[in-house]
Amino acid sequence: MRGTKFTVRGWEAVIAFLVHKDGDDVGIAVIDLKKGMTARGKTLTGNREYSLTVLEDIPFGHKIALKNLQKGDKVVEYGEIIGVATQDIPKGAHVHIHNLRSLRWGGE
Amino acid sequence: MERTVFAYRRKDGKVGVRNWVVLIPVDDISNAIVETVEKSIIGVLSLPHSYGRLQFGKDLDLFFKTLIGIGTNPNVAAAIVVGIEPKWTNKIADSIAKTGKPVEAFWVEGHGQLRTIEKVSRTAVKFVEHVTNVKREPADISELIISLKCGESDTTSGLVANRVVGKFVEKFLDIGGTVLFGETTELTGAEHIVASKFKKEEDRKKFLELFNEYQELIRKQGVDLLGSQPTEGNIVGGLSTIEEKALGNIQKIGNAMINGALDFLEPVPGKGLYFMNTSSAAAEAVTLFAAANAVIHLFPTGQGNPVGNPILPVIKITGNPKTAKAMEEHIDVDISGILTGALDMETATDLVWKRVIETACGRLTRAEILNHKEFVLTKLYRSA
Repeated sequence: MRGTKFTVRGWEAVIAFLVHKDGDDVGIAVIDLKKGMTARGKTLTGNREYSLTVLEDIPFGHKIALKNLQKGDKVVEYGEIIGVATQDIPKGAHVHIHNLRSLRWGGE
Repeated sequence: MERTVFAYRRKDGKVGVRNWVVLIPVDDISNAIVETVEKSIIGVLSLPHSYGRLQFGKDLDLFFKTLIGIGTNPNVAAAIVVGIEPKWTNKIADSIAKTGKPVEAFWVEGHGQLRTIEKVSRTAVKFVEHVTNVKREPADISELIISLKCGESDTTSGLVANRVVGKFVEKFLDIGGTVLFGETTELTGAEHIVASKFKKEEDRKKFLELFNEYQELIRKQGVDLLGSQPTEGNIVGGLSTIEEKALGNIQKIGNAMINGALDFLEPVPGKGLYFMNTSSAAAEAVTLFAAANAVIHLFPTGQGNPVGNPILPVIKITGNPKTAKAMEEHIDVDISGILTGALDMETATDLVWKRVIETACGRLTRAEILNHKEFVLTKLYRSA
């Protein structure tokens, strides 16, 4: 029956974040990331692995910076531009609406 | 891969998976009649809505196409159309009757509500008796028209649920299926990718025209869609910008090429994958797809959107383990195991495939069981 087949196994030896495409600036947390932890990540195809220190708590589903980004940098996910950094974003920081803005809507 | 479904083959050759007698009000003021009849007769479905008076031009045209399209949908076995006056009522009923299914039209003027309720009820009794004697027959899954629209998306949508639907779509198109997708504004930031997938240059141009038409409408209002797109639910789920949301959205069509670009309810010219201009609001888009004669809808969700439709079964698919748990009763296919490694993409795609077969054979979706009957007409501008 539903719900029994795919019971979550726990997050042991986990991949903590996933990256859509090699070269992306951000990854997506697939567990709640805690400040100070070393997080392992990989691309969806598994062709590249990452390991970095998490600078602040990042909830499940939210983005983590994979490299240092400067204010004004275009931010890439899926190999495509998803917006612009509105402040400097260090590697390992939470990337969301407080430091990332659409290039299509919401401009001054 | 299982391909046979047991479904309803209509006289016009189309294949449906439900067998409703629908009561279609032409206008808001006829809702009272169809709602009354629905309460007293089993097996009928009333479709109350808020429009049908003093619409004009392109908006009126879309209104007629929507109600006619709902009546002609192969998930509908018979229809009773009820309006205030005969002309528009007959216009809709006559168009539905071309499918060969039983249709009757009634109007209130000159008769009064109570006599009309009696006439609609007596016809409904006969129609229900007739359609419940129609048997399901074997059909190939590729004979179904499947529509796509995601909702309350989050980052798991682009990672998991939309990707799995994309794989399903590739497989379904390979065997000759028909798929509709839309959500015009939710392609913003990924429209160049969609545009690059059209098989024909004329369709690529038409798609961009339809896309730009709405961008222009937004600009003319002197606003943008920040605050609406992404939605507050999207933002809680980790989506930061419309571009990011759009790039996740288009995973639903996988690597498939697109056969054509259609404006609101332009007839689907053949098999394959078609873009149709739609709102990105869930109930509006799903209702439009129902009117485009889609018979099953795939709805990947991140944070959990409960939307359903009266005649179009909506299959909810999530890749978010929290949603799968917290909103368990809404979810038909839980593929959140992909994030933990407990499930692979292929197996997840097979689960969706299996559920489409089962739904086509009569298994109710969670949205149907939970009585979600959102019926929302797309209105292009205010009435006269």
